[in-house]
Amino acid sequence: MIRIDCPFCGPRDHGEFTYAGDATKVRPAHGSTDMEAWLDYVYFRDNPKGVHKELWHHAHGCRQWLVVERDTTTHDVLSVAFAKPSKSGGG
Amino acid sequence: MSEPIKPMVDIVVSCGAMHFYLSQSDKGTLVFGGDLDGYNTYAQRGNLPLIDHVMAAGVSLMPSLSRLRFHRHWGGVMDMTMDGSPIICKSPIPGLFINGGWCYGGFKATPASGWCFAHTIAQDRPHDLNTRFTIERFSSGHLIEEKGAGPFPWAQ
Repeated sequence: MIRIDCPFCGPRDHGEFTYAGDATKVRPAHGSTDMEAWLDYVYFRDNPKGVHKELWHHAHGCRQWLVVERDTTTHDVLSVAFAKPSKSGGG
Repeated sequence: MSEPIKPMVDIVVSCGAMHFYLSQSDKGTLVFGGDLDGYNTYAQRGNLPLIDHVMAAGVSLMPSLSRLRFHRHWGGVMDMTMDGSPIICKSPIPGLFINGGWCYGGFKATPASGWCFAHTIAQDRPHDLNTRFTIERFSSGHLIEEKGAGPFPWAQ
């Protein structure tokens, strides 16, 4: 069981969350015709053994998207932050 | 895997809708199969929500399982690909061939895939059956989507 300390809801087990993979990939510009860039964005992932920066959606909680740093060998959660910080400074 | 019980199931039960399967070993234990951990991991320990999910599928299919005790579960690393299908092909480097990315399948397909792979190496070209299982399918768009889950290995 992985426990994620949601910055809004507090510590919850991972059953409340939906996993969404690598958080470091940046989508190419909407009109980009660079197929290599799209190929990299859609299909290529590093899958590190160790610290992995990844997206989790708190689907059964506050429904915020979170960026979680997690060790893929121990499941230690090293950091949790909102994927999109609030403009009002709330997170 | 359950505690050993008297003979109960003499076939392999497989339910695609729930992604659950079951058989009984010679020792009497019921052997269950189900989904992936659901995230990138090398921890080889599984997780309780998934065990709960697999058992819920089992009990809904065969309510008589509900009082059985669990003995142990498997924990391994799955070499997932982006479309849930394996890669069996030549590589861009002469003399280097690839057979991998078997996801959670493969065990039952080992003889046929080994035969195709041997053909690929011996003839230096793929057999008809593995022609499409290339690495290039991701750049060409000719994916072999077993489940239609999209490029999300944890959801295959």
